Amino acid sequence: MLTGKNIVVTGCLQGIGKETLIKFAQNGANVFACAYQETDEFVELCKRLSEDNKVQIIPIYFDMMDNASIKEAAKAIQKSKMEIHGLVNIAGINRDALFNMITYQDMLDTFQVNFFAQIILSQYIVKLMQRYKTAGSIVFTSSITALDGNAGQVTYGASKAALIGAMRSMALELGPSGIRVNAVCPGFIKTPMTEKLDPNVIEKKIKTMEIPRLGEASEVADTFMYLMSDLSTHISGQVIRVDGGIR
Amino acid sequence: MMKMLEGKTVIVTGTSRGIGHKMVEVFAKNGANVFAHARIETEEHKQFCERLAEREDVQIIPLYFDLRDADGMKEAVKIIRETKLPIDGLVNNAGIIYNALFQMTSMDELRNQFEVNFFAPFLFTQYISKLMVRNKKGSIVSISSSVAQDGNAGKSAYGASKAALLTMTLSIAEELGTYGIRANVICPGVTETDMVSTMPEYIFDIQKEATFLKKFGTTEDIANTAMYLLSDYSSYITGQVFRVDGGVTQYNKRK
Repeated sequence: MLTGKNIVVTGCLQGIGKETLIKFAQNGANVFACAYQETDEFVELCKRLSEDNKVQIIPIYFDMMDNASIKEAAKAIQKSKMEIHGLVNIAGINRDALFNMITYQDMLDTFQVNFFAQIILSQYIVKLMQRYKTAGSIVFTSSITALDGNAGQVTYGASKAALIGAMRSMALELGPSGIRVNAVCPGFIKTPMTEKLDPNVIEKKIKTMEIPRLGEASEVADTFMYLMSDLSTHISGQVIRVDGGIR
Repeated sequence: MMKMLEGKTVIVTGTSRGIGHKMVEVFAKNGANVFAHARIETEEHKQFCERLAEREDVQIIPLYFDLRDADGMKEAVKIIRETKLPIDGLVNNAGIIYNALFQMTSMDELRNQFEVNFFAPFLFTQYISKLMVRNKKGSIVSISSSVAQDGNAGKSAYGASKAALLTMTLSIAEELGTYGIRANVICPGVTETDMVSTMPEYIFDIQKEATFLKKFGTTEDIANTAMYLLSDYSSYITGQVFRVDGGVTQYNKRK
C-alpha cells in the first residue's frame, strides 16, 4: 500500500509507533524511524525490517525535549536527499495529574513534546515537501481526550487539542501546495501508556464502546497507513477517531 | 498489488454510474465479490458486471430494482440469501439529488428525496444487517454528503435526507456493535459525477476554491475510502463520519 513512499515516523520505540513502523515496512515504505534513545533491540528491529521487506529503515535518534536535536534530525533527513512523502507524529508523553496537582514544569514538558516539538519537526518536513513539490501527507496523533476530556488528563488533553487546532490551519494553509494534514484520535489502545491505567477504569470505559474491547496498536497503525496512502488523496483537515465507537 | 478485500462479499446500491459504478470496479479489483444494484436493467450494466467478473476472477451479481419498490427489494434480498454468500459489507450509495430553493420545494419532491435517500436504505439495511448479525460480522457504509453537515442553499430537501441517513447509520453503529458490525458514514464534498453537472457554473468555481486542496473529489477518492471502511484495516473504527471533501471550512465556503 505504501510502495515507494519515504515516510518519517516518530515514537517508534514502543506501542503505536513501533506497530506503525513494522506495518509501513511490510507495506513497502522506506521509513525514517525516530526514537528518543538507541537500544540494541531497536537497532536489530530496524535491520530486520529492512532485510525482510527490502526497504530502507533508517533509525534516527533525538529527544523531543531538545529543539536543537530535532534540527539535527531534520538535517540528517535532508542529507539523505530522499523525497519525503509523509510524516506521522506519534511520539507523545502523558503526565496524568489531578487538576490542582498539575505543576508548571509538567505543563511545559507535556506541551514541549506533544505540541512544540511536533510543529517544529513538521516545519522542517514541510519545507522538504515543498522543495520537491511533493503531494505529502502529515498526520498528528491526537487523542479522544482532546475531544471528550478525561479526569486527570487536563494538560495532556489540552496539548492534544492544540494539535487539532494546528492541524486545521495547517491543512488550510498547505492545501494549495498539495500537502494534506489530518489528525487521528485513538481511544483506549493496548500500549505501555494504557498499561498504567487502573483496570476498573478500563472496564468502565469498555462499557461505553460500540466495539467493546481495547483497541490494538496495529489498528491505529492501519489508519495511519490509510492516511499515508493514495487511498486518502482527497482527505484533509479531518479528525479521525479510532476508538471502537465511544459514546 | 495487495488486494484489500480478498475473499469478502459486499453489496453496493446505485452502481449504474458515478461513485457506485467506480466502487464495483475498485472492490472487484481488490478481490471482492460484489452484488451490484441498479435501478434499471440495461445491456451496458450487465456487460459491465460480466466483463469485470471475468477480468478480476470474482463474482459480480447484478441486482435490479427500484429502491422505492418494496417488493422488488424483497426479491433482491431473496436472491442474495440464496447465493449463501456470507455478506461482509453493504454500501448504501444510491441516491438522487434535487436542487430547489426552500420555498419552491414541493411536498412531492421532498417525499421523493426521502423515499430514495432515506427510507429505502433504511429498509434495505434492515434486511442486510439481519444477514450480518447471523454471521456476527459486517461493515456498513452509508454515503451521505457534506451538505448534511454544512447545509447548502438550494439543497434543504436533499441535505435533510442525507442527514437522516447519517444519523441512522450512527445509531446502527451503537445498536449493532456488539454483534461485530461496524457502521460508518462518508460525506463526499463536491465529486466529479453526473450529479454535479446539475450545478450552475459560477457555484462550481466557488466550491472548488473553497477546498483546501483546490480540487474536486473523484469517484475513485470516495470508492477508496469506502474500501478502507469495508476492509479489516478499519477494524476498530465505527460510528464515525469521514469527510472526503478536500478540506472545506464554513469560513471558506462563504467567501
